[in-house]
Amino acid sequence: MSDTVALSLPVRSELLVLARITAATMASRADFDIEEIEDLRLAVDELCLSVVGGARSGTVRLEFSVDEATIAITCELDRSGEPDDGDVPGEPDDLSIRLIEALVDEHGRDSAGGRRRAWLSKRRSRVEH
Amino acid sequence: MELTFEINEQVNGGVPVIAVVGEIDVATAPTLAEHLGVHEEAGAAAVVVDLLGVSFLDSTALGVLVGSFKRLRESDGTLKLVIAEPRILKVFEITDLIRVFPIFTTVDEALQG
Repeated sequence: MSDTVALSLPVRSELLVLARITAATMASRADFDIEEIEDLRLAVDELCLSVVGGARSGTVRLEFSVDEATIAITCELDRSGEPDDGDVPGEPDDLSIRLIEALVDEHGRDSAGGRRRAWLSKRRSRVEH
Repeated sequence: MELTFEINEQVNGGVPVIAVVGEIDVATAPTLAEHLGVHEEAGAAAVVVDLLGVSFLDSTALGVLVGSFKRLRESDGTLKLVIAEPRILKVFEITDLIRVFPIFTTVDEALQG
């Protein structure tokens, strides 16, 4: 199975739950176990927090890809075209980074211009028969 | 979109017990901070936060709890947590906060501890 789902959200705290729901749904469909699904729910939440920081405007674009036994999630903050209202996104919280490191197999981040991006991937432990 | 989130407060033997139900994230953590702030300002000697009904908790929630713990400690108070769910406890283990907070598995133990 190979699936890709894209999600585009305005920066609003109450919408972050949609990223968690999407990650859990994709992981469940890909046969991840309950603990792995919970890990991914928390990891994608922290991924978004690490990208959004203190920003109060912009668009968060998420892409969820499932391929074989791996789920990959990319989160990007796009603030192009937004007024410069001084709410510059801050550096990710140390707790956030520690959680992501513990919960996923690979992760990273970069930034360029008005965009910030972070990604993660997690492999399913359950072996397909 | 509304998360399942509710806070119920009671005072037991003079100790405020804040019971949280639902998911604590960046959208709901400020409400918990408000409740804790009332007891910080009142100079509470101890506050119990009952997380037995919490199904999800992220670094924003941890930040609120750590901040409150520090402020209460400055006035010789303490913040006790009640956690029984392994996946919630796991968040405290990963971040080493399990060594910071007094953590109990029931509210009664927290009140006595």
